[in-house]
Amino acid sequence: MNKRVYINSIAQVSCQQPLSDEWFTSPHIHSESYVRAVEPDTNGLIVPSEARRMSKILKRTVCTAITALNNSDVQQPDAIITGTGTGCMENSEKFLIDMSRFGENCLKPTLFMQSTHNTISSLISIILKCHGYNNTYSHKGISFESALLDAWLQIRSGAIRNALTGSHDEVTPFMALVMERTHPEYRLVSETSMSAVLTDRPSARNLCELTSVKLLYRPVLAVLADRLAEDSGAAIMLGVNGKEANDTPYLELVEAVGGAPRLLQYKNIFGENFSSPAMAVYAAATILGRGEVPAHLCLGEQPTTAPESITIVNHSDATSWSVVRLKKI
Amino acid sequence: MSEKVFVTGAGIISALGNGTDATLKALLSGHSGIGHIRHLATEHREFPVGEVKLSDAEMSRMLDAHYPVDGLRTVLLGIIAAREAVASAALSEADMQRTAFISGTTVGGMDKTERHFKNVFDSNTATEDSLEMKYNDCGYSTELIADGTGRFGMVTTTSTACSSAANAIILGAGLIKSGIADIVVAGGSEALTKFHLNGFNTLMILDHDRCRPFDRDRAGINLGEGAAYIVLESERSALSRGARIMAELSGYANTCDAFHQTATSDDGEGAYQAMRKAMDMAQLSPSDIDYINAHGTGTPNNDECELTAMQRIWGTSLPLFSSTKSYTGHTTSASGSIEAVICLLALQHGFVPGSLGWKNPIAEGGEPAASTTTGLKLRHIIDNSFGFGGNDSSLIFSRYTEANE
Repeated sequence: MNKRVYINSIAQVSCQQPLSDEWFTSPHIHSESYVRAVEPDTNGLIVPSEARRMSKILKRTVCTAITALNNSDVQQPDAIITGTGTGCMENSEKFLIDMSRFGENCLKPTLFMQSTHNTISSLISIILKCHGYNNTYSHKGISFESALLDAWLQIRSGAIRNALTGSHDEVTPFMALVMERTHPEYRLVSETSMSAVLTDRPSARNLCELTSVKLLYRPVLAVLADRLAEDSGAAIMLGVNGKEANDTPYLELVEAVGGAPRLLQYKNIFGENFSSPAMAVYAAATILGRGEVPAHLCLGEQPTTAPESITIVNHSDATSWSVVRLKKI
Repeated sequence: MSEKVFVTGAGIISALGNGTDATLKALLSGHSGIGHIRHLATEHREFPVGEVKLSDAEMSRMLDAHYPVDGLRTVLLGIIAAREAVASAALSEADMQRTAFISGTTVGGMDKTERHFKNVFDSNTATEDSLEMKYNDCGYSTELIADGTGRFGMVTTTSTACSSAANAIILGAGLIKSGIADIVVAGGSEALTKFHLNGFNTLMILDHDRCRPFDRDRAGINLGEGAAYIVLESERSALSRGARIMAELSGYANTCDAFHQTATSDDGEGAYQAMRKAMDMAQLSPSDIDYINAHGTGTPNNDECELTAMQRIWGTSLPLFSSTKSYTGHTTSASGSIEAVICLLALQHGFVPGSLGWKNPIAEGGEPAASTTTGLKLRHIIDNSFGFGGNDSSLIFSRYTEANE
């Protein structure tokens, strides 16, 4: 018998007000093509002497992870499962800059020690002294959904009771410049740090139920459309951004699904990077938890009632796809 | 959680050669693949490495792949190993659609990035060179390996440094047990790069001589490179396809040492829990384990703590154990699957590879298998992979007999 999986709490740092749902009523609208995250106040979340030694992504990670745990029913998670597209980019970049300037001598060990993708997930485990399952997924724009799939499977089977899961990516000004060429389909390059506590326990805190996570590789459009049609009442949240190269696969899919599903968006508010699908889950969970949909997340008219369930569809380069389903409790 | 997970295929390339046959031959003859740097464009030629003998151009030609020859070595190594794994499991095109591909890597396309980085960075504008940076991240490497191997239905990447490939195998087993996938090709691929050779050098844990895991006077790692994948399959799928079952993945565990980003705790808590929990899952007691393929990097810290963790479980009567990193070098993200394939060969051919270069024990009772022993009947083998951040994973491969004797 499979267990149910709930989102118990969730916290974010992005181009919106950090560690807050203020974006729900009064979002910052960004017209530029690259925006950095609004840094959170680390007071009370990270020991000041430790914070000074952490790179941006590590500080944001700890802030979202500790906030999500503080707001949850869980003190010590059974597992920490993390997504990140490019990991500790700032430190990797500094190491590469030093190597190209000074050659292969006099390099700094600290930059290397904190440059691997799993530095992020490991740091949380070290702070929490958590010996449980710890894994990191790094697969382009479905890094978060890969982590979510792992957490969902393990809670559903009863292997673990809860998990701290999330996704974190930082984009340095240099990488933003590179991404103008490597990812011309992005409209607003942003940074994401999101942490969520998943649990098998019913609780008044739970925002919604996570009913399914599916990853697909180069799927046949009709197969994907059939999968979406299975839940015809759900609103569909898409990663559209107004750029043709990004939007076409989504729009072709919606046409194949048929009918007139209610469509939602999130990249207009949170921008995009390899971890941005985590913000889709965050936005959808917030909608289901509050029972209302803000106009700025609607594609088309604002509905008078909130949806009972939301299916989040995401693609990365139209090769890797994910379908995540959330349901109102 | 009762569904069994079988291994029905394997593929490998490392400093020991290309393919399972070449690997077996090298292990049995006791020849190390570690030698001087040939291909990696580094100033640090003083360090011995376990480099794959083929150049990028040679691998590209072998694969008839249309990849640029200046880089993406992780991809080239990955395709060679993944194709062998798929062929050895005799997966048809129809099978591939219901097969997931999970690959572990940390450097990804870093070899290409480090070639182009200076030009891109100095130009301070989006140049043609910037496009080359697209291949930097782990996911692109994995998708290129997948595309070069077959039409997989699902693809993703684990990245937990030196335990990446083991964690790819653990997710693969989870997908099978939960019925998400019938077949999973799981493992890892990692090419040598200047980035991590220099990184490990800044930590001062590279040995200037051939590495000597578990030796009292060990002085660090020899880095290596390579790729390996194993094919995991549900019992139902394996039996209905008439697949050749090589072994059962009877247990596994992923734990965290939660101590330090690059050092292991003195009591080896993460390693201890990983081996314990894997045995619990497999419903085995310590005396059932016939061989441990240790992580055994050759650093003073790792080997001492790993030995402590083993002694916490087995006391002074340890099972046969050795580290095969003195043959392949430390293949970082690929090590979990490269050593998994070595364990599968050991199970099938009844041998334990000896710890090359080992002379004196670290502590009393801490003697690894000094020379290669053949003619053994091995039942259960533990394969340890420990990564930065204290990401510790253990896999248990068990002998499979049709009669389930």
